Amino acid sequence: MVGLTPRVDYLAGFCCPLGGLAAGKPRMLCLGAEIFLSTGSELVYVYDRERGLLTAVYKFPGQVWHLELLALRRALYVLCARRGIYCLSLDQASRSVSQDDGDDKDDGDDGDSEDSQDGEPPSSVIPVDPDACVLPDATLCTFTVLDDVLITLAQGPTQWKMQLFKCPCPGEDPRPRGQIGEVELSTCIPPAGSPREPTAPHFLPVLCCVSPQGSRVLHSHLRGSGGFTLEETLFGLLFGADASLLESPVILCGLPDGHLCCVVLKTLVTSRLAPGDPKALVKILHHLEEPVVFIGALRTELLAEDVEESHSDCLVALGHHGRTLVMKASWDEAGNLVPVLREYCLPGPVLCAACGRGSCMYHSTPSDLCVVDLAWRGTPWDPTQPDGSPGGLPSLLCPTTLNVCSVVTLSVSPRAPEGGAELLALSAKGRLMTCRLDLNSETPCPTRVTAANTGQKIKEFLSGIFTVSERVSSLKKAVDQRNKALTCLNEAMNVSCALLSTEEGPRPISCTTTTSWSRLQLQDMLTATCLLENSSDFSLDQGWALCVQVLTSSRASELDLASSAVTYTIPVDRLGPGSRWEVTLPLGPGEDGVLDLPVTVSCTLFYSLREVVGGALIPSDSFNDPSLDEHSLDVLPEQEGICLPLSKHTVDMLQCLRFPSLATPHMQAPGPLSPASDPVDTFLGACLGPGSELAGPASLQAKYLPPSVAAIKMSVELLRATLGDSHSGVSLCCATLQWLLAENAAVDILRARALSSVQGVAPDGTDVHLIVREVVVTDLCLAGPIQAMEIQVESSSLANMCRAHHAVIGRMQRMVMEQAAQGSSPPDLRVQCLRQIQANHEMLLREVHTLRDRLCMEDEARSRTTAERLLQVYRQLRSPSLLLL
Amino acid sequence: MSHETPLGSSAPHASCLDLWRERNDQLVRQAKVAQGLSLRRQQLAQDALEGLRELLHCLQGLPAAVPVLPLELIVICNFITLRASLAQGFTEDQAHDIQQGLERVLETQEQLEPRLERGLSGLWDSVLHSSSLLPELLPALHHLAALQAALWLSTDHLGDLTLLLQTLNGSQSGTSEDLLLLLKTWNLPAEESDAPLTLQDARDLRDVLLTASAYRQGLQELITGRLSRALSSLQEAASGLCPQPVLVQVYTALGTCLRKMGSPQKALLYLVSALKGGSTWGPPLLEASRLYRQLGNTAAELESLELLVEALSIPHSSEAPQLLIEVELLLPPPDPALPFHSGTQSQAKYLLASRCLQTGRAEDAAEHYLDLLALLLDGSEPKFSPPPCPPGPCMPEMFLEAAAALIQAGRAQDALTVCEELLSRMSSLLPKMPQLWGDARKGTKESPHCPPWVSATYLLQGHAWVQLGAQKEAISEFSRCLELLFRATHKDKEQGPASNCDQGCTSDVALQQLRAAALISRGLGWVASGQDTKALQDFLLSVQMCPGNQDASFHLLQTLRRLDRRDEATALWWRLEAQTKLPQENATWSLPLYLETCLSWIRPHDHETLLEEFQTSLLEPRDL
Repeated sequence: MVGLTPRVDYLAGFCCPLGGLAAGKPRMLCLGAEIFLSTGSELVYVYDRERGLLTAVYKFPGQVWHLELLALRRALYVLCARRGIYCLSLDQASRSVSQDDGDDKDDGDDGDSEDSQDGEPPSSVIPVDPDACVLPDATLCTFTVLDDVLITLAQGPTQWKMQLFKCPCPGEDPRPRGQIGEVELSTCIPPAGSPREPTAPHFLPVLCCVSPQGSRVLHSHLRGSGGFTLEETLFGLLFGADASLLESPVILCGLPDGHLCCVVLKTLVTSRLAPGDPKALVKILHHLEEPVVFIGALRTELLAEDVEESHSDCLVALGHHGRTLVMKASWDEAGNLVPVLREYCLPGPVLCAACGRGSCMYHSTPSDLCVVDLAWRGTPWDPTQPDGSPGGLPSLLCPTTLNVCSVVTLSVSPRAPEGGAELLALSAKGRLMTCRLDLNSETPCPTRVTAANTGQKIKEFLSGIFTVSERVSSLKKAVDQRNKALTCLNEAMNVSCALLSTEEGPRPISCTTTTSWSRLQLQDMLTATCLLENSSDFSLDQGWALCVQVLTSSRASELDLASSAVTYTIPVDRLGPGSRWEVTLPLGPGEDGVLDLPVTVSCTLFYSLREVVGGALIPSDSFNDPSLDEHSLDVLPEQEGICLPLSKHTVDMLQCLRFPSLATPHMQAPGPLSPASDPVDTFLGACLGPGSELAGPASLQAKYLPPSVAAIKMSVELLRATLGDSHSGVSLCCATLQWLLAENAAVDILRARALSSVQGVAPDGTDVHLIVREVVVTDLCLAGPIQAMEIQVESSSLANMCRAHHAVIGRMQRMVMEQAAQGSSPPDLRVQCLRQIQANHEMLLREVHTLRDRLCMEDEARSRTTAERLLQVYRQLRSPSLLLL
Repeated sequence: MSHETPLGSSAPHASCLDLWRERNDQLVRQAKVAQGLSLRRQQLAQDALEGLRELLHCLQGLPAAVPVLPLELIVICNFITLRASLAQGFTEDQAHDIQQGLERVLETQEQLEPRLERGLSGLWDSVLHSSSLLPELLPALHHLAALQAALWLSTDHLGDLTLLLQTLNGSQSGTSEDLLLLLKTWNLPAEESDAPLTLQDARDLRDVLLTASAYRQGLQELITGRLSRALSSLQEAASGLCPQPVLVQVYTALGTCLRKMGSPQKALLYLVSALKGGSTWGPPLLEASRLYRQLGNTAAELESLELLVEALSIPHSSEAPQLLIEVELLLPPPDPALPFHSGTQSQAKYLLASRCLQTGRAEDAAEHYLDLLALLLDGSEPKFSPPPCPPGPCMPEMFLEAAAALIQAGRAQDALTVCEELLSRMSSLLPKMPQLWGDARKGTKESPHCPPWVSATYLLQGHAWVQLGAQKEAISEFSRCLELLFRATHKDKEQGPASNCDQGCTSDVALQQLRAAALISRGLGWVASGQDTKALQDFLLSVQMCPGNQDASFHLLQTLRRLDRRDEATALWWRLEAQTKLPQENATWSLPLYLETCLSWIRPHDHETLLEEFQTSLLEPRDL
């Protein structure tokens, strides 16, 4: 069969989606001169070969998944996805079409008239009446018909379910009365899809009806509907004595998970009260380990001359990737009859396949249509001949190419020419064609290769080698990619473990945040610098990113607004062990010149799974397998990744103060610039010269309003305990001030000058005065006066004063918490006095609440007085200043 | 809120809530109308389901709010009810729907954070605790809880179910573990009169739950053998609201229970009411036959079996399922292992035939077997009939039983036909005899393996010939049988436990007995044709083969006597005497029915008289 060149004729073209038809769903059946065809869309076409035109197009309410013909009743059964099975009477169909023939030609030109390209009269599309639905069931995946029994396979939530129905006729009341049997294929689990949104299955199961030789089922009719008659021997061996004795047809079922199982039809008569026991009724023949796409039967041994009708003596099941199972009866060494199951490998992925009447199987891949001949040309089994290959199966299958590519559905035409075969094929481009093959018996055996075809053979080998090497390289690439992804994942896992397992002490990967002022484009900017330090043994590689979230506190005037957050994501570009990496971010002030303190900066490490794994899951090889990419994309939802929090840092007023008065001329510390960064203002300000008054409302306020003041006292003892040895050599006042401004860039200058009070500038340009002095508190403690330190915050801007006050209190709180943890005891206090203070505060707080409520409701004029009162109360709240002991 | 109701509600100031409620009510009315079988109605129900789904999407698209939640929960309940009843069962989807509803309730309470760790059960716990603050939600929540209970009952999550019911009942009665008690004391809050329409009332649902769980519990206890508790549970189920088919099942179970408790008369009463009650007569009739068998009333037993066959021949007309959660939906899947699983017509027919054969009504048995074979093999009529499920015999054995029954009934010719039919149907699977025997002379290859039932067929054929008086044919059939049986020996040992049904039906003991039977049969054939020495050989072999088989020894004894080999006969007689005094332990063997029947043919009729006669004849000469 070397050099088999088929004669290909194109019959018609059908519309197909962009990218061609997908395999698996298109179907084609022949009945006489009529070809019934579905391309996987909602349409079913009826094409007449003799007249060479489309005679009817039916439109169904959903995708058509399967077709079966019941020739005796002249009925076409159609499985419509998620709807059920419809039944069309063929006689009725032709009548309705002939009526439409006289109609306007453009009647049905909703995109379907182009189906008939070759100048045929466009047949109109007949929408199928919903009443034609004989078996409504949304879970059906495939079905087959045998005489007047409809065998369906439905996908339940956990298992496949096979059901038997009396074939319903159109118009008959369908389901419940007709059901005669049911069994669950419980051992085979259907693919777990998301139960909420049932997606179209990638591979549909395959059903095939097999009858024993002596059965009274009409054979010709069996063949038409995808069924076969099998030789008694193989039948009995595969399906058991019971099936043989009952002469019962057997349903073979190939599932997408690779199971090949069989159900003896006559045993499957059950009802709701007497369910089928799957263990007794379902027999698993084999597991192909890849989706079964085709089941067929062949006649492999030569027939005696006088035998009229041939029965198949060999069953074939084909997997998606080309794995092929061949089952045949044979004798073992002892002379016992045994079934032989042998697996072969054919080139895949298999799009579709078909079996002819003889020993040839045709199967189609995206690149080729091949013939495989399973004929056993040796002598029939002879016990005297010891080397008879068991089962008479070839040890290797040699597919012969027909040079037709991407055929999505195949059918062997019943009108085969003498000594040959005729195939009907639908290509992925939607073209219907016939291939005539000459399979004459003089085709040489592989041993008798002539010189003429040796060259051809070598050519084929070479091209075969080429495709194999191509495939190998692409597979290698895919493997490399996956290995890399696995390495990355492993590394990420290590990093995560290292970070998450250290609860105390320094973490192996740390991030510290510092702030500083810098001048950017004539405007002063507070910038945060995040220093990522990797002291672990692992490196942060591709896929890792540092996420910095900057969370500003809300303004008083926008109470109802949630505080705003900005997140910066910066990919980490390989950070090896021991190395560090710095990121600088602007914190503000924004365009309006306002910096809402305090600002919280939190740093997180993020590992994007999509970036690392996504590439490896989608193979980029040329053998693009439709089954892979869709699944792989489902694995990774959007935004999937690992998130590891590193640090959280709060930037408050004390860190943002600048001290121009301290700046030494040679130091490059940037002096404060007016936040209104209008160059003209700057120029004018410069012209007025130093000492001149600042313009703007803030300065005016500074001039005419008394500064706001707040003070906090804390006992010297507490401070000493906190500061420890660090203040030795300096007065406690200076040490306190240094402690307060420890995170400020100017702390070194402070330390150098030993100041106890300092005048700073807030980010918006107003003054903030910090004064630290020693005081004595007399009336609080029973033991006598207490030495205390008073920290006074003074600012012309009330807001800045509050921010600074808040910052100072924050520091104190932290300190008190630490001290409390160390367990220092406070001195004896006058409880009465404390109570008084607390009662006062509580009363004031209550007033604050009522005032604030009022403020929300009142009109503008009255609200001003309320606001003033509110400020007053706030001041009172602060004024018997807080004392910390 | 641009939701448009297709209802076109006329009230101009109708709020969205009213519109939604209206939509719910309309869909519920539509679903209630759609109860029925026809395609149109099914479509209507399907449309209602889709409508409810859409409505639910609308409601859940908005943030959860307490005023809307009762309606939303009721819509969820209606959706689940309709969906489960359309699909005739609960799936994971329903659990998901319930979970979503509960999360929406928690959303209003702002307690959603740690829900990941808690399952559905934990979710219920927190919802029920937080919902004490929201009394207006309680009716809808209890309704949803009833659906959850149905789901857990049908999926056998009884632990979760008990916990849920305890929480619903309030913690004061939380100590009770009894599901039935909990269901009975479950106090459902009264629904307001203006509540949205529901497909199924919560109280109704609770009653269904009570019946279903009582029945389930009763079955469980019946299987585990706690009969008195089973009785009370089943009586509870019977007293509840119960559709007819379920009531028949409950009554049958009560009958089984009472039969096992030793009160057959009460059991009969229940079975009679089961038969009166419904159109499913199978289970009670089968149970009745067992009852009569236990009582020893063979005539009544066979009569009920005959009725059973007739009852099963009527096609089971299933009624349209109601669009409600019904008791059937909550019952465990029917289990063939349960005592009142009536099976199919051919199973019943087989039971009848074999019982006839066992009780010695050979003529009836033969008729029934022939009917059964016709039923199973008649392929011209496109009627699909099953052979009995396991643990019944497989098809070849059924043929053999039929042949045995025919021989027993004196219809040897018919028996031969049945055997030939069996062999011809299986001819393709039989080893090609002549060829292989020709091959055997080389001695290199082992003989082919052959299923034991083939040998048994030859054995029965031989007996048929015996009955027809053709000893020669009979002896040749017996020889064939023996040849096959002895060829199979070592092959069987190699294969270990038989893997296939073809061999699996025959145990080792049965194989041994089969060999003994074949040897004795041939021996008797030799005896009948006057060749006592050959007979002696066969009987000797059979005694060796099966030392425990007394029949062989008796035949041997007789032959020895006839041949006048007194010493050997005496020795054998002593041995036999010793054996008969020992307790018979071989009664436990369960042999295939055809083999039992066959063994009964070759049993010497007059054991005792023979022994006594022999004793006197043996002892007399010594006295002389």
